[in-house]
Amino acid sequence: MRVDLYEKLMRAGASRRDVLKGAASMAAIAAASGAGLGALTRPAAADDSLRAKILQIPGVGKGQPTDADFQKVGELCLEATKANVKEGEFAGVELTFMGLNNQNLHNVLFRGFLKPWEAYTGAKISWIDLAQADYNARLQQSIATGTVDFDVIEMGAPFEGDVCGKGLTSEMPDWVKKQIDFDDLVNYLKPPVGTWNGKQYRVTIDGDAHNFNYRTDVFSDSELAAAWKADSGDKAGLAEWGVPKTWQQVQAVTKFLKGKKFKGQDIYGYLDAPKPWGGFGFYFLGSRATAYAKHPDDKAWLFDADTMKPRVNNPAWVRAIQDVIDALPSEPADQINADPNTTAFQQFLAGTGSMIPWWGDVGSNVKTNDSSVIGDVTGFSILPGSDDVYNSKTGKWDKLASGPNYAPNCAYLGWGVYVMARVDSDEKKKKAAWSAAAHLGGKDLSLWCAAYPSGFQPYRNSHFNIPEWVAAGYDEAFISSYLKSEADSYNHPNAAIEPRIPGIFQYYSAAEDILANTFAGKMKAQEGADAIAAAWEKLTDQIGRENQVKLYKASLGM
Amino acid sequence: MAEQTSTANAWPANPADLIPAGRKRLGWGLLAAATLGLLTIIVVQILYKTEMSTVGFDTWRPVIYAYILWGAALGAWQVLTRGEDGQRALFLLPALLFTIAMVIFPTLFGFYIALTDWNLSSFTGRRFNGLDNFWQMLADPYYRNALLNMVLYVLAVLVEYVVAFGLALLLNAQIRARKFFRVVFLLPLMLSPVAVSWMVGKSLMEYRFGPAATLARHLGWDNPAFFSDPITARISIMMLDAWTFIPFMMIMLLAGLQAMSREVLEAARVDGATAWQTFWQVTFPLMLPVSVTAVILRIIFKLKLADIIITLTSGGPGGATDSVSSFIYREYRDRSNVGYGTMLAMAYLIIIVVFVTWLLKVASRFVRNVN
Repeated sequence: MRVDLYEKLMRAGASRRDVLKGAASMAAIAAASGAGLGALTRPAAADDSLRAKILQIPGVGKGQPTDADFQKVGELCLEATKANVKEGEFAGVELTFMGLNNQNLHNVLFRGFLKPWEAYTGAKISWIDLAQADYNARLQQSIATGTVDFDVIEMGAPFEGDVCGKGLTSEMPDWVKKQIDFDDLVNYLKPPVGTWNGKQYRVTIDGDAHNFNYRTDVFSDSELAAAWKADSGDKAGLAEWGVPKTWQQVQAVTKFLKGKKFKGQDIYGYLDAPKPWGGFGFYFLGSRATAYAKHPDDKAWLFDADTMKPRVNNPAWVRAIQDVIDALPSEPADQINADPNTTAFQQFLAGTGSMIPWWGDVGSNVKTNDSSVIGDVTGFSILPGSDDVYNSKTGKWDKLASGPNYAPNCAYLGWGVYVMARVDSDEKKKKAAWSAAAHLGGKDLSLWCAAYPSGFQPYRNSHFNIPEWVAAGYDEAFISSYLKSEADSYNHPNAAIEPRIPGIFQYYSAAEDILANTFAGKMKAQEGADAIAAAWEKLTDQIGRENQVKLYKASLGM
Repeated sequence: MAEQTSTANAWPANPADLIPAGRKRLGWGLLAAATLGLLTIIVVQILYKTEMSTVGFDTWRPVIYAYILWGAALGAWQVLTRGEDGQRALFLLPALLFTIAMVIFPTLFGFYIALTDWNLSSFTGRRFNGLDNFWQMLADPYYRNALLNMVLYVLAVLVEYVVAFGLALLLNAQIRARKFFRVVFLLPLMLSPVAVSWMVGKSLMEYRFGPAATLARHLGWDNPAFFSDPITARISIMMLDAWTFIPFMMIMLLAGLQAMSREVLEAARVDGATAWQTFWQVTFPLMLPVSVTAVILRIIFKLKLADIIITLTSGGPGGATDSVSSFIYREYRDRSNVGYGTMLAMAYLIIIVVFVTWLLKVASRFVRNVN
């Protein structure tokens, strides 16, 4: 949008939000449109009427869904349950469900989805809501003190070592596998994810990888392009103004944008999330580090697979930490106090910053979240790569013949619903718990969750049918770009896989605290990395090194 | 007339001496048996739970029953061995049993946990590791940093006291709308510190659109990110905490002012004392006992400061705002490190007890000297 036009609108009383909403510049998205997704798309069939119907609740661009919408979707998706459960079959059964209430999503939606299920089956559910930052502590306490006071839990794959590894979960019955169409999961979420010792425990309700979200209007702006051309600073190979493809370019763009104005506002480049977030914040350093640390010839990237010696203080990770330190002065003034919730929901969606790594929630929220002003100006790709990658075996940086090294961060492997073993002694209760889990992990309901703010992103092959999204009101170029970024991350041959080992969140939390001090300038990048490594070594010894080595290898498929 | 006293008819000095020896023996025997039973069950249970023995109970419930029986035996022992005095002592029994169960046992258990290596994710559970946690604590720069921050936070109480005293004097004077201002000044105290953190810290002081940040920009501060710089972050936390708790001190001081004798103040005025002289030579000395109480209570509250920090900064930037409580909270919550976290908590408990005891002594001596 031209500055004079923008100023005219502002004088007329339009808000910055209105202006940004209307300032669609889809050139970059159009360029990405559909590329590589052809294999995943298929024409909508007549039997997809239910899916089409639920995707119209409330409809993209028609405000954020409410509890009434959740209930409506839950009601419409009950058919799969009815095939396995008679009406009133669970009368008298009481279940306790523990999950998140982060961003008023997760459990808040589950309540609505399960209300019709409760009405049909006769079961009653009571809820334990947890903030994201309290999740790990609450779960660990329940496990350690033997006070598992819930029958069903919403849990991420990283905790499988802590929970399934201690025999606390119930094995999935075959009828559940059929009901949820288990084979529809994308490949990287299939076993061993969700299994322990060969037994299936998890109903997957989410897929997770960090993708790269950027502002298309910023990276197609002619004035910024001219300024970039005239700039004599290091451009890290980004000759023409556009979306950075490597972390080196991200750094260059972030520094270049410092002090620049865009549409009358301060414009910023990359948004880091330095503030601790109950362990989950470490993933955001991970996303900066994977391209440096995950070598295509080596499955391991966080620890040495044979010894569990941390790699977090090797040159690759130290470079990632240093990148954050170097970028922070060019980011918004209070960035040191930003956790990932802040960067995504209070900054990026509200129009601050032009690049952010996050789970797929950003993509499903930009068009449907009431606080978003960037619905028409957001593009997506896999995480940036790196011109060189550290080889832990040789101790040298390698330049790959194929070009920059890309290594999407498959952070967290998504949320799942797990049934606790404490229901196994009561067949009726067990069936009720699994039925509730299957309802939440249902094929059709999951599509709705992927399309609207829910806390979950696409995780089934059937989620990548672009016409369904377009029929729901999504712009084709936008959704193609979004789904491509997700699919390319999931299916990338050099994806950095989450280690499903016990205590992983203690590792992350210990790192977060030390990183917060490092980013605040209390120590150098290498010192901070060494302190993290020392804390991790101590943790490994506490938890049991031999066992950790075995489980780490298993999680990497070695 | 000579007193007709007979040593044979005199009452014994101690009424318990009237109790037959057999009854006393029964009381002592009962207590010994109950104590032995309780200790036996505890030892058996510990051996069973640590898998050193196959004899024991699946739950700790029998220990609770044994403890209740021991309480009953304790009561019976008092009555059997001390008669009426023992009956009176029975009134203390519930409080005694509660204190043992809720204060003494958890404290002792806490000290034991502090000597173990216990991470909730560990498959091996608790392992005794002697003084390892203690040495780790002494070498922990983050804990030292949190302790240092606590010194600064506690010193801020003096500033809070001055402000609170000023407000109390103001509300004690004959000003307009005095009742209204009393209610208004008390409002922050009625709010949860977490709500204060969100309403003031996250909204008013938000660096882009917060009114406080906007005002700061108008006053020439280019970059008013209150929580990004260690010094301003620390000051901001102190201010928010003060804003919440100054009313508490103010209300105590106001009560003290209103309880003061008017005659003394009038006498000072008749003697020609200025307002300044009246304050320093009459009001302030007379208010010292209340002041000391208010300050010490406030310091005790301050030593527990955590919620505002956890909500706003998580101890950042770089540990600049960490309090000991927020640091320990993260050790438990984020790292599930129960053994080390308990060592930190126990060390802090000892520091607080020693510090507050010393403070009370110093304060009472100071009040005595002044008055």
